[in-house]
This record gives sequence, C-alpha cells and structure tokens, in this order.
Amino acid sequence: MIKFIEKIQNHMISRRSFLGMSAGAIAAVSLTGCGLTKVATKQAEEIAKTEGQWLTAACWHNCGGRCLNKAYVVDGVVVRQKTDDTHPDTPDYIQQRGCARGRSQRHQVFGVDRIKYPMKRKHWEPGGGKKELRGKDEWVRISWDEALDTVAGEIKRIREKYGSNSILVTGGSEMPRTLGLYGGHSTHWGTTSWGTWRWGPSKFGMEDGYTEHSINDRLDLRNSELVVIWGGNPAWSAGGSPMYHYLQAKKAGAKFIIIDPIYTDTSETLEAQWVPIYPGTDHAMALGMAYTLVTEDNPALNPLIDWDFLNRCTVGFDAAHVPPGADPKENLKDYILGTYDGVPKTPEWAAEICGVEPETIRDIARKIGKTKRVALFTAWAAARTNNSDSWPQMFMSVGAMTGHMGQPGQMTGVSCHFATGNGGPYLVKPGGNGLPVIKNPVTDRINDNEMWETILTGKYTAGYNMKKDINIQLIYHGYNAVLQTRSAMNKGIDAHRKVEFVVSHSHFLTTNSKYADIILPATTEWEREGGFSNGNREMLIHYTRITQPLFEAKHDQWMAIEIGKRLGLKAEDIYPLSEKQQIFNQLAGATVIKEDGSGMEKLVTITAGDIAAMGVAGNPQQGRITLQEFREKGIYQVERKPGDKYGHIAYEKFRQNPEANKLKTESGKLEIHSKGLSDLIKNYGFTEIRPIPTYNRAIEGYEDTFKDWDNKIKGEYPLQIINPHYFRRSHSIFDNIPQLREVYPNPVFLSTKDAKERGIKSGDTVLVKSRHGKVLRTASVTERLMPGVVGLPHGAWAEIDEKTGIDKAGADNILTGPIATGQGTAGWNTCIGEVEKYNGETLIPDVKWPQRII
Amino acid sequence: MSQLGFHFNMATCIGCRACQIACKDRNNSKVGVLYRKVYDMESGTYPNPRIDHFSLGCNHCAQPKCVANCPTNALYKRAEDGIVMHDKAKCIGCKMCLWSCPYGVPQYKEDEGKAGKCDLCVDLMAKGEEPACVGACVMRALNVGEIEALRKQYGSTADVKGLPSSSTTHPSLCITTKKR
Repeated sequence: MIKFIEKIQNHMISRRSFLGMSAGAIAAVSLTGCGLTKVATKQAEEIAKTEGQWLTAACWHNCGGRCLNKAYVVDGVVVRQKTDDTHPDTPDYIQQRGCARGRSQRHQVFGVDRIKYPMKRKHWEPGGGKKELRGKDEWVRISWDEALDTVAGEIKRIREKYGSNSILVTGGSEMPRTLGLYGGHSTHWGTTSWGTWRWGPSKFGMEDGYTEHSINDRLDLRNSELVVIWGGNPAWSAGGSPMYHYLQAKKAGAKFIIIDPIYTDTSETLEAQWVPIYPGTDHAMALGMAYTLVTEDNPALNPLIDWDFLNRCTVGFDAAHVPPGADPKENLKDYILGTYDGVPKTPEWAAEICGVEPETIRDIARKIGKTKRVALFTAWAAARTNNSDSWPQMFMSVGAMTGHMGQPGQMTGVSCHFATGNGGPYLVKPGGNGLPVIKNPVTDRINDNEMWETILTGKYTAGYNMKKDINIQLIYHGYNAVLQTRSAMNKGIDAHRKVEFVVSHSHFLTTNSKYADIILPATTEWEREGGFSNGNREMLIHYTRITQPLFEAKHDQWMAIEIGKRLGLKAEDIYPLSEKQQIFNQLAGATVIKEDGSGMEKLVTITAGDIAAMGVAGNPQQGRITLQEFREKGIYQVERKPGDKYGHIAYEKFRQNPEANKLKTESGKLEIHSKGLSDLIKNYGFTEIRPIPTYNRAIEGYEDTFKDWDNKIKGEYPLQIINPHYFRRSHSIFDNIPQLREVYPNPVFLSTKDAKERGIKSGDTVLVKSRHGKVLRTASVTERLMPGVVGLPHGAWAEIDEKTGIDKAGADNILTGPIATGQGTAGWNTCIGEVEKYNGETLIPDVKWPQRII
Repeated sequence: MSQLGFHFNMATCIGCRACQIACKDRNNSKVGVLYRKVYDMESGTYPNPRIDHFSLGCNHCAQPKCVANCPTNALYKRAEDGIVMHDKAKCIGCKMCLWSCPYGVPQYKEDEGKAGKCDLCVDLMAKGEEPACVGACVMRALNVGEIEALRKQYGSTADVKGLPSSSTTHPSLCITTKKR
C-alpha cells in the first residue's frame, strides 16, 4: 500500500518543484494546476494582465460529446479555458459548448498527480518478483533507458518461454504495431458500451447507433409529436448539445415518455411521463405493449399497427410472413399471443417481471400506436444487460409494428452518445492518417467477461463448443482502463498478481497502472502535435499543441518505436509516417458536404507553403477553407437550418421501396425472424436465442433477486445495482480532478424505501456488496430511484483496503460478475446485491483524499 | 441608472455544473471556493419525484447587505452598472460579507486571507464577451444584461422556494420558474 502520508508531503514538494519549473523548463503550465500559494496568486494576476493567445485544445475523452475547448496561453502559461464562441449561438446553428469535465482539462494535463517519470515497482524483478505486492508495493523512479530495456527484455523473454500468445495487449493502437511485427499478441474483445447493440443488430437490420444510425437528424426530431426514450439520460450521459436538441423538440410541441429506473434530469427537463422499470426487464414490457397492439388493433376502427409497413418491410411478424424455409410457428405474433407456449405475453404477464403497471403498459402502447409521428429511442444502457441479445430486435419490432420509421418525425433506433437525437452520416470528417495496417499473426481473442478468469485458469471460449488453452504471462496496458472498466475487477487484480509482467502507459496512477510493474509516462493530447475530434455529424474540431511534453512524458508512438528497436525492429516499419505527416494526411483527406448536399468535397485548402512549413510530403489542394482559418478557429461547422439539404431520414428509401433498397440482412428486410441473429449468437459459444425476439431472463437480473419467484420471497441479494454515467467522469477519466471531486461527490444512490428498510440515511457510510465484491460509499437517499434499484455511478478509481478487501471508492466493477452471455455482452447493468449500514470507519469525502502522487 | 444582473431559467437547467466550473476557471478558484454554486432541490415522493436546480452567483443586489456591512468599504457598488465589486487591497478578511449576504455568495479564500466574489466577469464584459458562466451553459439557461430589460423579457420573479426573500436585498436577478 502506498504510504499516503508521505505522499501528501511529496505533494507539497511537487507543488514547489512545479512552480520552479514554470519559470522556464516548461512551455506552458496551468496556474491552478500547480496549487498556487499567495505569491503565485500575485504572479497569476500579473500574467492575467498580459496579452495571450487562445489555442484550440483537445478534449478527447469518450463522453458521448465532442466540444470546442480553448486554452488561453499567456507567456507560456495556461490561465483560462473557454468553449465555443466562434459564431453566434442559435438552436439551429449551435455552439459546441463543453461541460464541467472538459472545462477542467487543464487541471488534468497539469495535475500534480501526473506520472512524471518512468516508474518501477520496488520489488519487481525479471519473472515477477513478489507478484503479490502489485498494487501495494512502493514505486522507484527509473530512467527511460532502463524502462525501455526492461519492457523489451520481458517481451522477448516471455515470448521465447511461453509463445507470442502469452502476451495480452489490452488496448491502445501503438503497441499492437510493434508486437504485430514481433510475432503478434493475444487480444480481448467485448461489446463494451453498446451492450447487445454491438453486433446483433446488423443481422436484423438496424444500426448500432455509433458508426451508423437508424434515427433521423435533430431538425427532423422537431417534427415528432411523441418521443419515447427507453433508457437514456443525455443530461448526464451525452455531453455537449443533445439535451438542448431534445429541448427544441419539446418547444416544438413534442411530448416525452421516459422508461428508466431513475427519474433523471432528462425526465425532469423534458417534463416527461416517467415510467420506472426494473433493469434488464425492458423486453418483457415491450412484449406487453406488443400484446396490446395485437389484441386491440382494428384496421378500420382502431388502427394501432401499420400492417402496410409490416407486410412490405419486415419478415417474421406472423405465420404468413416467416422467411422461406422457416417454421411458420416461429413468428412473433404467435409468441405474443402464446399460441404455442400457452403463455400470452399480456401486460399483466409483463408487469410481474418489469414492475410497470399493466394499465401503463397498455397506455404507452396505445399512445405509440395512435400518434402519427413518434420517435422511438433507446440508448445502450438497457442492452448492457446479460442475456439481452433479443432486446434490440424486440425494440425494432415495436417500431416496425407501429410503422414509426422512414418518415419525417417517425424514427426507431438507438439515440445516444455522439448521435443522441441527431442521426445521419457525417457532414464533415477528417481523412485517414495513412498509416498502413499491421496484421496481428496471433488469433487468440478473449472475451472481456472471461479475460481475468482466462488468465487465472488458462482457458477461454473460442466459439460454439470450443474452449482453448492459453497461458497469459504478460499484460500490456496501452491507452485504456480495462482493469477499471471491465467486469469482475477482483478477479482482474488476482490475474494481475499472477502473471510475470505487467506494463502500463499512463498519465496517472490509474487502476491499470497501480497494479503494474512498470509505468511509462505518456503525453496527453495537449502535449502533442495536434489532431482532430469529430463527434456529432455537423462539425470537425482541429486542435493544436498547447504545451511541450511535461517532465519526461513521451508519446505512445515513441514508446512503441523505442521498444520495437530494442526488439530488433526498424522504426520505419512500425511508424513509416511522422506524427506531423499523419496529421497532414487527415487534413488533406478531410471532406465536407457540398452546399447542394449532393456529396462530399475537400474541406481544407493547402498551399505549397503550408506543406513546406509542416515539413511533410503532399500536394497542394483547393478546399472550402484555408488551413490557417481552420487552425485559428479550431472548428469547421456546417450551418444547419430547417429545410436545408443536410437532413437525414433513416430508412426513407427502404420504406418507399424495400425491394429496390434492400437492407444488409439475409432477407433484405427488417427481420423480426432472424436466423442470422440466432446463428450469430450461437456461434459465440456462450448462450443461445431463438430467431424471434423471445424474453430471456438475465443471469443476475431482477428475477434472480428472489429465492422464491412464485411466492416473491427475496434472496440474499435482493437489490439490482446499475451504473449510471456520472458527470464527475468520462468513464474513468477525470476521476482524480480535485475540483470535479468537489462538485460531484460520487455517492451511491438509494431509494427512500430501500434506505428506510435498512435504517440508512443520506450521509451514512454504507457497504454495497454483491457475490463478486464489496465497496463502500456514502449514501444519497432519493425519491428519484425505483425501489429495489441501487445507482452506483460508473468509473470510480478503485481504492482497495488491503486489510478488509473492500474498495473504498465504489468502483462499479468490483461488484459486477464475470458472466459471458450471448454476443459476449458487457452486462454491467445486470448485477444484484445488498446494501447495509457500515460499522467501520466513516468515509471522508473523496475531495479530501490524498492525490495519488508517486 | 444602469444595473446589470442575471436571468436564470430554472425550467431548463439540468444541474450539470458547467457554469460553476467555468466560474472557477475564470477566477482561478481553488477547491473550497465557489463564486457560483449550483444547488439541487429534490421534492415529491416516488413515483412522482421532482428535481430542481438553482445556479446562484452574485445577484449584484440593489441594496446589497455585503456592501452595507463591509467595515473597510472593500465592497462597493460600481456607479456605472451597479456591479458589486470587491477591492482586494481594502479587504481585511473579516468575513462580514460572508455573514451578511443572505444568498451565501461571498467566499473566503484561505490562502489569501481575504474574501472574494463574482464580479460579473467585468474584464470579459469589457471585451464584449459574456461572463464565463453564461457562455458556458449548455442549456442556455443563464443570461446577463440590464436587469430591467431582462425582467421585461423574462418576468420579474426573484423569489423561489429555498431562496431568501427578494425584499431583503432586492437582487438583480430574474428567474423563469417551472410551470407546475
């Protein structure tokens, strides 16, 4: 365990040394990041009087937004940040305004807890050296040469002893290039944020919601009369403008229904009808709605179902429309009615599972069926549940039954992350960086849910009825946070303590780095040549260097090259292009929608002088804006207005003529019966589903909170724990920033009813436990949470008390289990547990915790 | 006489704290010092809960108690625009302003031994920019301007549950409340 008292003292020293360095050694230093003293405050005032320069700064995190972030640099010091003010702000032509996290970016880049030098775990030695001390050993500063020699040496030694597939690279694009040329490495895979929207939907005809979208654009959303958001809280989970876009739809007259275990700020702001639901039971509710539609529909007197759409554009809804060769009994309508299984999926049947009143289920079904223009949205959270591979297909089926697709104001699909309420292809985008792909000769790929167990047991699932042996002995953490952000973290820690070598590229002592042997300090985007951010479809950000690398931090590409050289590889084989050339290629290849909307054209005019100044190879070109203008503004945004040529109606052509505009499914239509989907799921080798969207109860879902379901007697873990995204962090990033810790205390949210039953009040320290682990948090008791559901915010950096084994930070993945279902789904929102008042030491607020300074 | 003030739209604020952090950034405020603060107010009972947020900076009151009670005249109302300014040179760090302000706006800065507060980003306003908090709001729930003009546009409500009565200091603040 790190001796934190010592670290606080070191903290003070670091502050001073940081200040000392600001005089000359560092090009740009953030004032508050240094933890300024009185003297420095005066300095700050003096500096503030001096004229500086606004530079476009990267905000590169995976928050669901991409906003314009600017840093004001005066005399080499970053004194302030701001966001988009490059054009007047209107709801149509909107400024790309950033959030509290992005506006705290300078406190991250210049944080006193940055990893400043290569570090080695004190008791490490080749082969591991007291491996059990990982996570609690002391750290020793080493030279870059020693660090690189050590890493290269261990890669070589372990590859020779155990083979290339004993090296597991967990992320980052850099080291896979080096190791790809050095025999290869094992990788891991998973559905991550998407849940079951990741791979299944392409089989039944819907898009994943990230790379492609099945929903219309934001200006068309204003045509919707009813917007149903089935799980989704952009107010907390999609940075930037999405909530403002939803607000415009509300102002245009749309009513909102939000189905969610939490009464979110999205519900409040949109004055939505809130429908609380048990996590992971959405599919049951959708079936109850479908039953209502099927049994109450009367084409003449009470039309609820769009038969024309179903008959022309889908397969599998009823016996008459199953795909050729399929069993006619295998259709959704008969499943809904219980024709063959004897269980009609009535609203009463659904209510027992999902906790929504039957009358509410009917009411919502009727509203969706009767309203002419409905946007039927879901976000990925509901699909981040075990055994939910049929849920996206069921969601699509409700949209197809009611025909809310392919017309103005009518849409069905994923609305989250970059494309929240704003679907459609990019209107402006960067080119490729031109780097050739390096193939990985090793084919071993381990599912995230099994990753840590595989390291411990030596076996992984490689497909249907297929287990493979593997002996992982080196964990290589590039740019990622897998130990923090994949399930079953306790097993992950055990795995880290088992292998012979762990190395981590890092900005901070993150969870990945804490349990490593060697930490290599990486530069942030602010310390690099620059780059691009594209998020929502309307804009492209081009950010530039803000400062020189701090302390001894290096680019990940440099590390990959230097390690490669020590393995006998040539730098030019790993990275044949310089960082500048990569940026140039993206600039030169950047495109923007033509003014008439007919296609894309070059974005940037580049002169011979620009090319010479950058010192790169390339040809001058004519584009929409000059390079200088792009750099100075830092953003190109396509101006939108109602009726322009840049709108998007998903499925428009398909709906008009499905035969001429086939989808990429087996039948070319939306598949309510999808053999492609059931085959896909079967071939992963975990669990199976039917071709039609049947309800499959989740492992560690709502039903598992009971020991006796029929008599409704709760079991040992009676509560469902979900992981709402929390504004303090973007996943795990920014968790360490003091001013964000101050603002967002990161409690565990408990419903009033559950808290009362357990004698817990707000402010109490509580123990939250599942069968997989235990965490402590301060309780925040709220009326805004469905009783039976616990909200443990996602992404807190684990802080495990080695004496008790309890995590004091409330890391969500201490509680989640190593459960692989369906498409290897990340089922983080299906987790069951219990909460109790903690009798040990009371937690102090996170903001008062010592920073992790090594 | 000119009087600048804020408009706050309670109906659209999502409680995200971008204003609060932007304010902190502009003022280089350390942890513990918040010139603008967002308050959360939960009401109702499950399944009909409500959540309101209130973003509160200095209201640059017409009759500011902080100014009246400051023993050294460090706090004063600027004649040309009614902004309540703080002269750090005169401040002795007695905290009288902290105790006087019914809105809890002035802050004590341990490292300087002095008080500090929102100055409506006068330097930015002088350059034609918006105060940091206003330009930060992702929901466009904050506006700045001549308070009379804002009142004409948004109404003159300055009293909501949880705030002290506006009759105490006559804040240069108008609030769009929720309809319910």
